[in-house]
Amino acid sequence: MKIDVTLMINGKRRTMSVEPRQSLADLLREDMRLTATHLGCEQGVCGACTILIDGQPARACITLGVAVDGAEIRTLEGLQDDELMSILKESFHDKHGLQCGFCTPGMLISSWDLLKRRPKLNEQEIRLGMSGNLCRCTGYQGIVRSIKAAADKWAGSPSAREEAEG
Amino acid sequence: MNGESLKRKSQGVGASVLRNEDRRYLEGKGEYLADLQVPGMAEIAFLRSPVAHGRIRSIEVPEQYRDQVFFASDIAFAKPIVAVSAAKGFRASDYPPLTSDKARFVGDLLAICIAPTRAEAEDIAAACIVDFDELPAVWDIDVALKPDSPRVHDAWPNNIYIETRIQTGDLDGARKAAAVTVHKRLRMGRHAGVSMECRGVLAHYDRRMDELVVYSSTQFPHVIRTIMAQCLGISEARLRVIAPDVGGGFGPKNNFQPEELAVAALSMKLNRPLRWVEDRREHLIASPHAREHRYDLKAYADSKGRILGLEAEVVVDAGAYSVWPWTASMEAGMSAGIMTGPYDIPVYHARAVTVATNKSPLGPYRGVGRSGACFAIETLIDAVARAVDREPIDVRIENMVPPEAMPYTSATHKLYDSGDYPQCARRAKDAIDLPAIRARQQKPEPDGRLIGVGMASYTEQSAHGTAEWVARGLPIVFGYEPALARFTPDGKLILFVGIQNHGQGLETTLAQIAHQELGIPVADVIVRHGDSSVSPYGMGTFASRSMTMSGGAVSAACAILAKKIARIGAHLLQAPQDMVALADGRVNFGDQSVSFAAIAEAAFLHPERLPVDEEPALEANAVYQPGRSTGAFSYATHACTVAVDPGTGHVEILDYVVCHDCGTMVNPMIVEAQVVGGVAQGLGTALYEEIPYDENGQPLASTFLDYTIPGSTEVPDVRVLHMETPSPHTRFGIKGMGEGGAIAPPAAVINAINDALRPLGVEIDQTPATAERILDKLIAAQGGRA
Amino acid sequence: MKPAPFAYHRATSLEDAVAQLDDVDTIVRPLAGGQSLVPMLNLRLAPVNKLVDLGGIDALKRAEEQGDRIRYGAMLPHAAFEDRRVPDGSNGLMPFVGGQIAYRAVRTRGTIGGAISLADPAADWLLTVVALEAEISVFGPQGPRTLPAGEFVTGPYLTALDHAELIDAIVVPNRPKTERWGHYKATRKIGEYAESMAIALFDKESNKARLVLGAVNGPPLVLEESAAEISKGANADKLSLVIQHELVASDRGFSPSKLHLHRTVSLRAIQNAGLL
Repeated sequence: MKIDVTLMINGKRRTMSVEPRQSLADLLREDMRLTATHLGCEQGVCGACTILIDGQPARACITLGVAVDGAEIRTLEGLQDDELMSILKESFHDKHGLQCGFCTPGMLISSWDLLKRRPKLNEQEIRLGMSGNLCRCTGYQGIVRSIKAAADKWAGSPSAREEAEG
Repeated sequence: MNGESLKRKSQGVGASVLRNEDRRYLEGKGEYLADLQVPGMAEIAFLRSPVAHGRIRSIEVPEQYRDQVFFASDIAFAKPIVAVSAAKGFRASDYPPLTSDKARFVGDLLAICIAPTRAEAEDIAAACIVDFDELPAVWDIDVALKPDSPRVHDAWPNNIYIETRIQTGDLDGARKAAAVTVHKRLRMGRHAGVSMECRGVLAHYDRRMDELVVYSSTQFPHVIRTIMAQCLGISEARLRVIAPDVGGGFGPKNNFQPEELAVAALSMKLNRPLRWVEDRREHLIASPHAREHRYDLKAYADSKGRILGLEAEVVVDAGAYSVWPWTASMEAGMSAGIMTGPYDIPVYHARAVTVATNKSPLGPYRGVGRSGACFAIETLIDAVARAVDREPIDVRIENMVPPEAMPYTSATHKLYDSGDYPQCARRAKDAIDLPAIRARQQKPEPDGRLIGVGMASYTEQSAHGTAEWVARGLPIVFGYEPALARFTPDGKLILFVGIQNHGQGLETTLAQIAHQELGIPVADVIVRHGDSSVSPYGMGTFASRSMTMSGGAVSAACAILAKKIARIGAHLLQAPQDMVALADGRVNFGDQSVSFAAIAEAAFLHPERLPVDEEPALEANAVYQPGRSTGAFSYATHACTVAVDPGTGHVEILDYVVCHDCGTMVNPMIVEAQVVGGVAQGLGTALYEEIPYDENGQPLASTFLDYTIPGSTEVPDVRVLHMETPSPHTRFGIKGMGEGGAIAPPAAVINAINDALRPLGVEIDQTPATAERILDKLIAAQGGRA
Repeated sequence: MKPAPFAYHRATSLEDAVAQLDDVDTIVRPLAGGQSLVPMLNLRLAPVNKLVDLGGIDALKRAEEQGDRIRYGAMLPHAAFEDRRVPDGSNGLMPFVGGQIAYRAVRTRGTIGGAISLADPAADWLLTVVALEAEISVFGPQGPRTLPAGEFVTGPYLTALDHAELIDAIVVPNRPKTERWGHYKATRKIGEYAESMAIALFDKESNKARLVLGAVNGPPLVLEESAAEISKGANADKLSLVIQHELVASDRGFSPSKLHLHRTVSLRAIQNAGLL
């Protein structure tokens, strides 16, 4: 039996009828065709499905759509105009932080959250903060360098300072 | 080409150009199999066997689902997958898309359930009741080899796919002359490939083209088309196979899967679009597995550790069916065939046995048999060094094929083309700072941990072509690669290639080759691959072949275009042909130039502007085979320092160094990252990854809660040192290197652990070297002292 | 891996939730953060006919200082402790534990009550609330009751919760400011469930020590003899012997390597409290 839920998805209000068992990931991917969020395990371990719920990172694969009624959901597609996300994307490109690209959206969302909370990080702290996102291609070195480069750039940006002060 | 000096161009061979393909992935716009939808599509959930071995008596389907469940009889027209080898005595196995007589491993395909959503399809599968006559499970090599063991394949006299032997030189002589004999027994745990994207297939009928379209997350779409057409009984002209964006391959996506055949056959039969997206549990249980090897080795050496002869037995647990096209025998055969490694070992006798068990079929996985062979010979070398009380690196180097002996034919008849193995090993030793570690080991660590250093060297056959594949006796010989280089009228270059990029950066590196030949900006080059209807017939991406093979073809095709562009450009500039230069997407003569766009426009749309006798259009195709098809041998030495915690058994990698030589590097940034990625997988093999099976043939690791791959806190920074000894036989001297990183880590890490534990008399002879196994050995060595 | 179908009810209050759970004809389970339950549902390991979502019950998300103790609502996520958005009376132990559970994206949703009621023997909060001598406040069809954390878990994945009962809060007594804590956890890989973990507490003012070991295939083990040794000021070798003895005497049947590991982890927790 379907249940009506209303979600703000990437800034747009959506009301839909969902089965209780339907994950937020499947709702986004199959119904909304927002396919940047990938499924790698459906156990909450690999991190490929990481999105933002009310501004906080969460695993879309183990979040039921019905359980986030009224929440604000942001996927990678909805962060195109975000300054920190743009810095991260550029850094991932510059420092070769991706190979096959499958883990990349989850890496970007998790690192976005990490840098928002802890703008000044060394590489060890980055590795610890990103331990919840698995990659099979890169061996993580390029990812860590990318996030470090982004952190350095973000630390110098006026918006970061504003956020820290606000 | 041999001796040609490479003129470095800013975006050409040797440049660390940033990747063309990044944009769509960073925007989240990549299209992987699970992102594709076709109108009217139904989702598939497979009914898979929950038992390892059993005769299928019946499968009961609830009435309301009768027309949503399909069995072997429903797709009887689809012929089974049969991998064959020309090797004498090889036993082929019929691998049907759905099994109907017996289930032969947990996960074996019994039926296809279809529904509007995957969840509903799983409901249907869960509602089916399978009645088995359960048979004892052949769950282990030892069980399989017992004379009275049940047969995985009933018609076989035993559970052996094949046994092969290599006999080079006088082993008796070596035995007698040896001052030292070292015997080692080793095991490698069974693996899954664990690409982040699992497998998947989407099939539908295109009525306008009258062809079946099959999307598959595969590494070799053309070859899949060939075998799939055979099995479906249709012409290849009526079948299109497309690999969309593929989220990692590593080998498990380099087989013709029964799931591919089942989905395609049923889609044909029902005339309905069907999609199967593998989930992680299916992947861990039923995707082609990897690495389960056992070794029994004897080295006969002189008093300095120089190896006079090597005796090896490798036994591989190859699971229930032969994977296509490689056959179950590939692992053992490859391992035995590269066991002498980078060493000059003239006497070598080996026995390679491939065993059938009730487990998921074993297939190629990054490094393939070489990882096991390296683990074997490199731990053996360390053991020989200990036996003669010498530093392992010294014994290693003294046994190596010296550079002056190149080209060198090994005891397994492999032709090592070029390289300086000793220099590479020395550089690795310097980089890990061996003397400093030996000094450090003299004093106890403040935190009580035990420090160890280990090294491992290998040589890797890459980009092997016709001669090698013929020797392996496979039904398809992966002898060449094609390329079609085609300009658009507005001056962009499209390269249609037969490899299949899935993370290796080929959409960039092949563009770099084009730049090298044409001077066209990399951003103006588009690489089209992965689609059997779009690209010329190619073999796909595996065996570290793509850069060498496809790069060679792209180079040849672009060289033809370069001449034509020079002719047309010279004509348009009214300049002598031998005085123009191609650079920056333009033909230049002094301070005059004409763009490739103008030339392309002339070629396609205004042939009146072309020189007399110049044909219109602007495209060229070529095929490429390396000068020698016996392979270009990349090689490396890995070195690592570890700290072993005797309180927890935990191993921390303190430092990891790779010195490698893959000939001429097209893009050093990408090469380094391929090495590091490979090392991460190798560390997984060494310390974390394993799918054990119980006595009922049940896999004991089926989710990420049980099966661990290294994360960002487990993989250290890896220092990569490059050497570039060009291959004499390939374009630009390129060698393949995609797998190398994953070959040496199990040996390097185990050697380091054994070095650390040597004072306690403990040796690890198995991967993964889990904390529990290390603790068990430590406790046993202490006699269980409290 | 998609779940079997189930019905869903978003509870409006604790009473409403309990009323929903109080059903003998269908399998009704509460949904807290879902970080453990939904993976099980995805694998079809946990049969469920109806989920009762506790996420809308604000009363379960409050933290209240009550004099010498703090009452934490069961639905507080681990991140609330990590980020110190709730008061702390444990000298920093609870924020520390909260911040090293799994990964950040799990910590934003997973809850302290959910973790304790699942009673995975390797759950970080389970060990912590037993170490801190907390009380578990429970609410059910018969109304509220409280039990000591040490009595709440009775076996692996087994609790003292009766039919239709829920944890509504965890009440943690404030620890003395003079008390120090030490924590040590051994995992195969960062962020995974522990293979062994221990918390040591010592208050030099009262000379009281407490040593609790988790991931021991059942309720956490309170090592009282070993704690007594700490109070006596024993050295590492003596402590090691006593811990070994106490572990062997426990009813858990540890293998030699597990004994070795648990002993190591216990000693390191004591070391991390600055006691050796």
